[in-house]
Formats: sequence, C-alpha cells, structure tokens
Amino acid sequence: MGKLNHSDVVHLLVQLGIMLIVGRILSETARKFKQPAVVGEILAGILLGPTILGMIQPEWFETLYPTSSDSGIVLTGLVQVAAVMLLFIAGLEVDLHIVWQQGRQALSTSFFGLLIPFSIGFTFPYLFPDFFGIAPGQQPIIFALFMGTAMAITALPVIVRILMDLNLFKSKMGMLVVASAMVDDLIGWLIFSVILSLIGKGNDNMSFLSTLFLTLSFAILMLTVGRSLLNRALPWMNKKLAWPGGILSISLALCFLGAAFTEYIGIHAIFGAFIIGIALGDSEHFSERAKEIVHQFINNIFAPLFFISIGLRVNFIANFDLLLTLAILAIAFAGKITGSGLGARLGGFSLRESLAAGFGMNARGAMEIILGLVALENKLINEKVFVSLVIMALITSMVSGPMMKWVLKLK
Amino acid sequence: MALLFKKIAAAFAFSPTLEGLLTETARVQKYWNSELILIHVGEHSQQEEQQLGELLEKIGLSEYGNLKIVWEKGNPVDRILKTCSREQVDLLIAGALKKESMVKYYLGTIARKILRKADCSVLVLTSPSILPTQIKNIVANTEDTEFIEEVLTTACTIGQKENSNFLHIVREIKMYGLTMSATENCTEEEYAALRQNLVQDEITEVEEILLRIPHEGLKVNVKLLSGKSGFELSQFAQRKNAELLIVGAPQRKFSFFDRLFTHDQEYLFADLPCNLLVINPRKEVSRG
Repeated sequence: MGKLNHSDVVHLLVQLGIMLIVGRILSETARKFKQPAVVGEILAGILLGPTILGMIQPEWFETLYPTSSDSGIVLTGLVQVAAVMLLFIAGLEVDLHIVWQQGRQALSTSFFGLLIPFSIGFTFPYLFPDFFGIAPGQQPIIFALFMGTAMAITALPVIVRILMDLNLFKSKMGMLVVASAMVDDLIGWLIFSVILSLIGKGNDNMSFLSTLFLTLSFAILMLTVGRSLLNRALPWMNKKLAWPGGILSISLALCFLGAAFTEYIGIHAIFGAFIIGIALGDSEHFSERAKEIVHQFINNIFAPLFFISIGLRVNFIANFDLLLTLAILAIAFAGKITGSGLGARLGGFSLRESLAAGFGMNARGAMEIILGLVALENKLINEKVFVSLVIMALITSMVSGPMMKWVLKLK
Repeated sequence: MALLFKKIAAAFAFSPTLEGLLTETARVQKYWNSELILIHVGEHSQQEEQQLGELLEKIGLSEYGNLKIVWEKGNPVDRILKTCSREQVDLLIAGALKKESMVKYYLGTIARKILRKADCSVLVLTSPSILPTQIKNIVANTEDTEFIEEVLTTACTIGQKENSNFLHIVREIKMYGLTMSATENCTEEEYAALRQNLVQDEITEVEEILLRIPHEGLKVNVKLLSGKSGFELSQFAQRKNAELLIVGAPQRKFSFFDRLFTHDQEYLFADLPCNLLVINPRKEVSRG
C-alpha cells in the first residue's frame, strides 16, 4: 500500500475540514430559508472553488486545492466513494413495497412521467446538438439519450420532504407520487447505465451486447435472487452481529462489491451501488433504524464532500450559458409537469392534484447532479451543459414545494 | 357504522379439524345471530353425511332453524366463491394451515386463494378447536384499507362479546418519510417535535373514529408501527399472542406478482400469525 507523506496528510485533512465546515455553514443557511442542504453545499463548492476563491485569490485556491498533488488524488478517490454511497442510499430509499402497493396507478403515472420528459429531452438535443453543448467527438444520439434521461430523473428525498412539509406524505396522492418517482429513478438509472456502456468507457474487451446483457442480468438477479438471499441472511446478522456496527459494515461492504462488479463489467460503479441499495432496503429485516443510521452517516459526511467537490472542479461563472440554461429549464419544467401530470390525471386524480403531482415530480435535486457529473467525467457533455444541469436541479428542487402548495391552495 | 354479518358461510371438508371448525363457526354465528350456510365441495359418502349430522347435533347447530347445507362439485375455490356470491354471504369461514410449503404458497392453496379472491369478508382459522378458548387479545389493523371503521366496529363487537383483555389498534407511522426528510433538515429538537406530531396525529385519528363506535369495557391500546406494514403487523400480533387479527380488505386483489414481491397482507398470508379476519363489506354497500 502506498503512503502519503507528512505534508500531504496535513493537506488532505485541512482540505476535508474546510470543506465540511464551509459546507455545514452554508447548508445551515439554506435550511434557514427552507431549502435542501444540497443548495448550500453546492454554494460552498462555488465559494471555495475556481468560481469565487480562485477568482479573488487564485494563489490561495491553488495552495488549498492544488490540481496535481497526492492529497488531491486521495480527495478525488474519496469523492468517488461518496458518489457510490450516495447512490447506495438512493437505492435504500426505493421502497418496492410502496410501488407494489400503489399497483398499476403508479406504473401509469411513472410511465408518462418518464416517457414525455424523456421524449422532449431527447428530441431537442438530438435536433440541435451544438446548441445543447454536445462534447467534441460524441455521437448526437448518445448525447440526446443522456439528455432525455437527465430530464426524466427525479429527486425522491426532495419530493418526500415536500410531501411531509405539506402533510401529504400519507395521502393517496403523496404515496402515488413517491411510488412513481421510485419507478422513474430505477428505469432512469438503468437507461443511464446502458448509455455509459454505449460510450464504452469500461472494460474494452466486452461488447455492447454483452455489457447490456450483464447489466440487465445483474439488476434482475439482485432484485430477485439477491434480494431473497439478503432477506434470509439479515435476520442472522441482526441476531449475531453487534448492532449497528455489523449491519453498517456488511451493508457498505455489499455496496462496494456491487459497485466494483458493475464498474468491472463496463458500467459505472454507482449503478451497482444503487441496485444493491434497492435489494437491501427492500428487505423487511433491514430496519428503519438501520436505514436512518446509514442515512445520517452518508448524508452528513460523504454527501457534503461530494457536492462541494463539484464547485471545486467547475467554474460556474466561466461556464454559465444563459440561453442554454433557460432552454434546459424550459424542457425540464414542460416535460416533467406535463408527463407526470398527465399520468396522475389518467390515474384518476383531479386536475389540481395532477398538477401538484407534476410539480412534485419536477424536483431533480442531488440525483441530477450525480448523473451530470458522471456524464461530464465520461466526456458525454461539456462543462456548460453540466453547469446548466446543476442550476436546473437546484431551481426545480427549490420551486417544487411552493408550486405544489400554490396549486393545492394550501396555507 | 354498524357492521352486521347477516349471513355466514363455512367451507368444510371431512378432515380431522371438521369438528373444531364447526364449533368455532357456531361461536361466530352467535355473535351476530346470523343465518348459517355450510358449503362442501367434492364427493361425499352417505356415511360422511351422517357424520356431519351427528357433529351438528353435538355442537347444537342442528337445532338451529336457519342452517342450510350446500353440496357442490367442481373446483373448490370457484364453487365456494360462487356459492357465497349467489347466497349473498357476508362472512365466509374456512380453515387454513398456518404456513404452507414454498411451492404451495406460490401456487396458491384453497384458503389463500379464497383470501385473495373473495368478495365478502373472510375468517380463516389456523387451528380450530373443539374447546374454543377466550379471545384475549385482538389486533385490529387500521391502515391500507378503506374499511377502517368497519374493522374497528367488528373488533369492538367481538372484543365485547368475548370479554377480551385487550384490543390493540395498529396504525402505521411512515418513519421512511421522516428519515429521508429530516436527516439533513432538522435540529434534534425539530426532529423530536416532528416525530411527536406524527405520533399524535395517528392517535388522534384513531380516537376520533372510536368516538363513533361503542367499546365500553374494552381496554384499547393504540400501537404505532413502522417498517414493512404487513410484516410488522404479523410480528406484532405474534408478540402480543393475539388470538385474532382483523384487517380490512386491500384496495385491489393480489396476484402472483404480489406473492413474488411480498408486501402488505401477503406477509400475513405467507405465515398466518393467528386466526385472520379480512373485512370486506363491499356487498353490504352494493345491496344498499
């Protein structure tokens, strides 16, 4: 095992400390304005990164976060692990039980909530790839497929928080929105994994068809056989291993192994973590308390590191394109509100409730940012598109609650 | 809303548990002084018919004027459900094994198929006894159904008739939502208050419904569960040594898919924690 020298260790610890402190201050500020923590964390990254600190005091920024240093490599590794863990808890949040409970109604809402934003998100970038910032050398169809997926995905935690705030979580509409968002996320990440395999960033020895077959097989196997095996093993773990240490380390170990497997077969590691999260979280023996501990651990330590790191690597002012951002915002709002609203309406909800469901599903939040970052790293999009996607994710998350409240005429 | 089981049917076979089933049926029949129908599907001999007559006499059902025996042939589930529909039965009673083998569970046994498909209320008895014991603990689930009030009415009626020790009323608290929404957005105090409010809302809701239902003399315990609803309900019923679990019919009928990805009442059907009564009063509503 390699070793960091003394100054690199100090450097890394200072980097992490500053990131967590500034992230906490700004996420607390966001909380005061009833906004998700991710808004503050992204702002913290912008503040510490090339956008503000790098512009005002370039030498400070270079000293604090040098582009090439051993501590920087370790930090990058930590951020990658954070992304894997974030997708793991996103998987834990997918409660298939709620999806089956809602039945066909959830499937119809999620179908339209996926189809329409995906279609609009696919069509415009496919027709105008240059305007939408296709990365050089990238195929328009793959780029358009990604943009369609980016428009179709939702932010489950944001939706849940809004529904809880509005006291609608346990309502029929609330449960339908949650179930539909879960289905959309599952399918969205499946499509995205296939797109990643299409651009061939993984194992070069495997063909696209082999990778596709392995992706689907892995997902299906983990959600059936794997889920069943975990369901049988968990009671034993709960009984024999120390709590919560046992369940925490075993679940994270499974998450990393699943992530390693999908990375090996040519898809991104986050997909494996997501599927393992679903399989584990769906077990009746994985208690709510255990979920809460995993949530606290990842959401308060690794999530801030991940979201702050985004601002550290991208200059948000230099890469801000007003027209592109407005176009992405328009497509995001139109596609998701129309699609999910139509799905809910066909599912038997009133016009007002359907619109509210559409506004709720429109929140993109953290998931969009992770998706965008993976696409950026794989050179599927350029930095301008990424900045626009981050802004879209933040704006949709910030306005969903007030818009739902307004349309439902709640005080 | 008073729920009355005007007509009760019991599906029976000539098995070792027949006497227990008939004894328990007689007990339930007395709760509502209902009309009674006995349904048998399949071949039967003269000797078996005589055996039934003797048992009915022993239990005291033969003296009962409103007793009707229906002999049917064909697919048991199909014939039992069709008879219930034709006779406008309000409550069907059947025996069931506590747990089936995995293959049988997925294929579906008679009792489980009846539970999934019936258009009336169904009571399945896991170990009907010729010497019925007092129902000391009743668990009533008031989640995931449109028949909350009917569930509570039935639970209170049985509890009062049986002089039960406890009626445990189960509500579900969605810790799932609380965890996701509160982990990064609440202080410790706000989290505690949020949790307290959720708990109080559930208790208040139950208390409001109970105001409309006579339950004098019954000790009521409102229990909030979180986690996978059917599974946690089953665990709770076992922990309380409940003799009877009452739930409302789900909003849609369950299929094979629901067994494959087990949820809600399928957890109960997979391993019955005790006698199970599924309230489904749709027929009363349609009859006006």
